[in-house]
Amino acid sequence: MPRITNRAILKAHRQHPLLPLLLRECRSHISAKNELRWLRDRALSMVSARENGRSPDAPLGWRSLLRSMCHSRSRGVPLQYILGDQPFGDLEILCERGVLVPRAETESITLRAAGLILDAIRKQGHSQGRMGQRTRNLRIVDLCTGTGCIALLMHALLAPHINRLSILGIDLSPMALELANKNLAHNVRLGSLSKRALKEVYFEQGNVLARGLGGAGILQESQTSIPNAAGYCDVLISNPPYISPRAFRDGTTSRSVRIFEPKLALVPTIASSGISINLDRQEDIFYYHIISLSFEASAKLVVLECGDRLQAERVRNISRTLAHRYGSGALSIDIWACSSDPFAHGGISLNDEPCAVVLRRTDIDTE
Amino acid sequence: MLKVPWVCSQCLARFATGFVKTHPRPILQRRRLNTSVDLSPSLLSRARFLAAEHLKLSAHLEDSFNGRTAKRVGELALIASALKEWDKTNESIVELNTLLNDADTDSELRSLAIEDLETSQDLLPTIAENLKQALVPRHPFATLPCLLEIRPGAGGDEAGLFAHELLRMYIAFCSRRGFRSNIMKLEVGDGSAEDRLSEAVVEIETDGTYDILRTESGVHRVQRVPATETKGRTHTSAVSVMVLPSFPETGSGMDDALNFDDPNSDYYIDPQEVRSEKMRAGGAGGQHVNKTESAIRLTHIPTGIVVSMQDSRSQHANRKKAWQILRARLAEARQDAREQELVRLRRGAMGGVARMGRGDKVRTYNYGQSRCTDHRSGITIHNLNDILDGGDSLDAIMESVRSWLIDQEIAALAAEELVKDRKINTPPAKK
Repeated sequence: MPRITNRAILKAHRQHPLLPLLLRECRSHISAKNELRWLRDRALSMVSARENGRSPDAPLGWRSLLRSMCHSRSRGVPLQYILGDQPFGDLEILCERGVLVPRAETESITLRAAGLILDAIRKQGHSQGRMGQRTRNLRIVDLCTGTGCIALLMHALLAPHINRLSILGIDLSPMALELANKNLAHNVRLGSLSKRALKEVYFEQGNVLARGLGGAGILQESQTSIPNAAGYCDVLISNPPYISPRAFRDGTTSRSVRIFEPKLALVPTIASSGISINLDRQEDIFYYHIISLSFEASAKLVVLECGDRLQAERVRNISRTLAHRYGSGALSIDIWACSSDPFAHGGISLNDEPCAVVLRRTDIDTE
Repeated sequence: MLKVPWVCSQCLARFATGFVKTHPRPILQRRRLNTSVDLSPSLLSRARFLAAEHLKLSAHLEDSFNGRTAKRVGELALIASALKEWDKTNESIVELNTLLNDADTDSELRSLAIEDLETSQDLLPTIAENLKQALVPRHPFATLPCLLEIRPGAGGDEAGLFAHELLRMYIAFCSRRGFRSNIMKLEVGDGSAEDRLSEAVVEIETDGTYDILRTESGVHRVQRVPATETKGRTHTSAVSVMVLPSFPETGSGMDDALNFDDPNSDYYIDPQEVRSEKMRAGGAGGQHVNKTESAIRLTHIPTGIVVSMQDSRSQHANRKKAWQILRARLAEARQDAREQELVRLRRGAMGGVARMGRGDKVRTYNYGQSRCTDHRSGITIHNLNDILDGGDSLDAIMESVRSWLIDQEIAALAAEELVKDRKINTPPAKK
């Protein structure tokens, strides 16, 4: 990482004495200024909220609160852990230590996936004649849900157009599940999620790797609580851990992420997978399991976030191999670049930008 | 009557005001007051033409309903009713006059007629005014909420400081009038001063605020001794204010003309023409890093309009806001181009029709004299503090500008009709 020049530090200090602290983590003046503004707004609102509550244990004024926030930020604590939340679509996702912070790339993939589902439904509606006819349940499974951000945003985007939804979020970490449920309640309270979400979104514990490649047990087991479940799902979406142990160490992964975010959500470990498969790359384990799962559950749409273009290519090959093994019919595989704007045509897509691999079963009738 | 006949009239006036003056009011000066009753024949003929169209269309509407026609009829109904009233009043005046001129009418009837005539004549100016206002076509964005952009112009730091004061003024104005407003974008300049604006965009969400605030577009000039000045000299700086239409989200049942998603709409933006960039350093993304940079920059390639947005922590929110601003700017630019074209046509036909452009100085705030002068309506108010607090005086200024705008429109309409008449009456000259 290039050193920050003295001039940049001086310039920052002239503007605000706390700015050089933020510069250590942000590395750019504009970004540091933005973070300072967000932190200051939060400090002010926290202090005013406390004053309104008139709690006696309020020793800090907003200035000292801001200072302590900036100090922890300069140590590399993710901004979202300091502020306690992160906007995701129109939702506000709470963030806590021990659970991965939702990323902007995941947000854009989720938005795009929801757009795809809505398009398909619209087309179907046209072919069937009437839109209101659809009463069938649309089932979505989000594996490795973490904060629950994908599952919740999916519900927020789809609920106005689909009468019946059931969205299941699965994660290994109990901490993540607790936070996901908290997020569900929090966003319903804020009004950014409809009340239906309380009935239609579930979070359950499960290990995607432990079941091996043998069966879709993970889905079946967790679906016992959902009435009329047959172990099938329509849409499978996931942002699994995808960093290789090497990329975790060699500086590709930033210090802040390495130290403060849970390794469980970042690097797949072979030990937890139980059986050993002939995979040349450890970081792709999850895709193997998730894609086989999707064939067993006969998902019509699978959306998987990948770390970079090369990994996406590998995932494409994995899905081709598995499709062959499961003898599934026509399958269309696309790779989405995350940088693209859902509204406009995108700029340049870089090779080390995350992508999404999208599998669509074209043999199954969409209804 | 006064007992002493030799009191000078000025003294008398001063004496009288001593009693009349009960509460201090901001001193208003108007250079030009428009109280003429006269309605130019060309305007009247236009009104008759439109009323005839109204009659024809409403007859048509009875046979078959058509949304577009119904809308047009609704627009014309106002003109038709105003014209009817005008005709009725004029008729009754003529009738009463003949009654008065007639030698046979008895005295009782005559006194009644005189009374009637007076009320009718009093009514006439307001009716004429109504008719004029009805004739002015509604602004296409009149029903929309708006975005207010404030940017400092010439004048360096001082312009930035004053821009911040204008921002406060408009926010105070909105809260006093009960309009919901929120700051979409706020950028302060580099330096230690917090209140030196480099750009601000305020969204005013209440419908119809575009029409109320569109008087504010233009360059606002400030004359004062800046806080940064050490020698006590008065500086002149400028801040540019733009009022843009804010388009509602789609699917809210807007009428076709303003639906920006419809490729046939005038305000449609082809997504292919917009380049979207994330202003982010290169390198790995996704789980590898946790970047908080959420800035988005949109460039509309054909016009070169650039909107960048970095206020929110969410890229998605920034992108949404950037699109909203881009849409607003393009719509305003397109509307502006259309107006320019109209003005050009008019000018080509008869010359000398004034139009205040965005680049023109519209208002001066002079701190030394505590006055604010609007250069369009010519109104001056000597209560700068109230104006900068977004108080009633600001309303007064905006009201005066609005009537000025209507006067302008009417003058242009009249001129246009005149040209039309001339074209019809005089056969094209041969070389």
